[in-house]
Amino acid sequence: MLKIRAQKLQEARRFFETRNVLEVDCGALVKRAPLDPNIDCLPVEEAFLHTSPEYALKKLLAKGIGDCYFLGHVYRKEELGSLHNPEFTMVEWYRLGFTLSQMIQETAAFLSIFVGELPVQILSYRTAFEKFLDIDYREVPLQILQNLAQNDTWSRRDCLHYLLSQKIEPHLGRNTLTALTSFPASEAALAKTAIVDGEEVSLRFEIYYEGIELANGYHELSDASIIKERFQKTNKAREQAGKTPYLLDENFLASLDKLPDCSGVALGFDRALMLHLKLPSIQYVLPWGLPFLDNRDDTTFIQRFGSHPKTDGGLTPLEFCCMNSSDDRANKI
Amino acid sequence: MGSVGTNEIRIGMKVEIDREPYLIIANEFVKPGKGQAFNRIKVKNMKTSRVVEKTYKSGEKIELADVEERQMRFSYKESDGAVFMDDQTFDQITIQNQLLGDRGQWLKEDALFEIIFYKGEPIDIIPPTFMEMKVTETAPGIRGDTASGRVMKPATTETGAKVQVPIFVEEGERIKVDTRTCEYVSRVNA
Repeated sequence: MLKIRAQKLQEARRFFETRNVLEVDCGALVKRAPLDPNIDCLPVEEAFLHTSPEYALKKLLAKGIGDCYFLGHVYRKEELGSLHNPEFTMVEWYRLGFTLSQMIQETAAFLSIFVGELPVQILSYRTAFEKFLDIDYREVPLQILQNLAQNDTWSRRDCLHYLLSQKIEPHLGRNTLTALTSFPASEAALAKTAIVDGEEVSLRFEIYYEGIELANGYHELSDASIIKERFQKTNKAREQAGKTPYLLDENFLASLDKLPDCSGVALGFDRALMLHLKLPSIQYVLPWGLPFLDNRDDTTFIQRFGSHPKTDGGLTPLEFCCMNSSDDRANKI
Repeated sequence: MGSVGTNEIRIGMKVEIDREPYLIIANEFVKPGKGQAFNRIKVKNMKTSRVVEKTYKSGEKIELADVEERQMRFSYKESDGAVFMDDQTFDQITIQNQLLGDRGQWLKEDALFEIIFYKGEPIDIIPPTFMEMKVTETAPGIRGDTASGRVMKPATTETGAKVQVPIFVEEGERIKVDTRTCEYVSRVNA
């Protein structure tokens, strides 16, 4: 696994090199936390570990460095599961003058390193809810959403997040890459919005393969006053959810008026590698993941995830990953 | 009892949901890209063994169940149940026939059972995984057809358990049985 991981890191860098996209090594330690209603930072003595290199790269874009990418580690508090780890590997890149659909095509090209060439299916958020749940997410009464989510205390937004992740995502990207687009305007984060079919939507996409979300892209918004407004709303939402609000990165906001027209995408390298190796959890492809800690003592892992499933070769994925690559079973992949 | 946050959930924890005790058998952290994080857990009702799925928003609290496990020794059978005793405290408790169910076939004197209490009331009893017992009834073995592998025949043990045993096992012999599967493990030398 270590050899395949190293090889894929190289292929990823080569992908950008051939396209003249500059690698930027952003520091992981940042003075101001990236702001998101649902992502928490690991604090380090008056600073934070970055949850994505977005602000740093955009500050550089505003200074005119042009197309650029980051390939490295990011950190998110309390995210641990078969598809999450507090420290994981992100590939994030920005392309000047790219439309959202050009960005989707390039993301699919990047993913072919891991999953081969696949057709790309475009599906709007609204159509996805119609297709898989038979509801119009804009008009459906809260009570019906709560019934579908089987929880009568959640808000409209919570229910939509739940239904998207549990009832829709598992169907996406079956034998194809699915780009989910046209998210509601309230889910725009740092993306532009536009009126499509009389509805204000985010110019944002997520790419799925085998029911797993791999990438999140935006046509980037450069209007500092709108972003500041969204930040303040985000902090209010964080407070309501009992989370600490974060101080705004004023330098980032001030740099935005010079941000060139561009699209950007952030992609989970470990998930892509996991799909390449057909393993059931990113924990097996992180050389610092749970199965590799504690001298390969599986207790912690089993308490979290239950027992190891078996791979085709009758090995547990951990045995599979730790196998010496000279073993002929390793050469099968 | 206290409560745990969703990030402290571990498989094997006992929690209280809708005033019933549940055992956590699976836990999955799910989070849509930019959305709310959830923990989807699979829990088994400790009274009925029914398995259900529950989803919590990350950060929500789950109550821990007041569940206690005690090792107790089987003493004797009564008409309405079986009496167990705690070796340390000499506490005695009667487990009703209804709760005993098919575990009644493992009631062997002096065997140490695990009894699960919820809010002080017994809700489950677990026999030792392996038990040794005497075969009290089985047909004599017929020599011959052993080429096709292990040939089994029915037997009844001193506790009333019905177990398939190899044909060479005879009445009066002691055998080791796996109580989870009700399967013969081996002969026990006297």
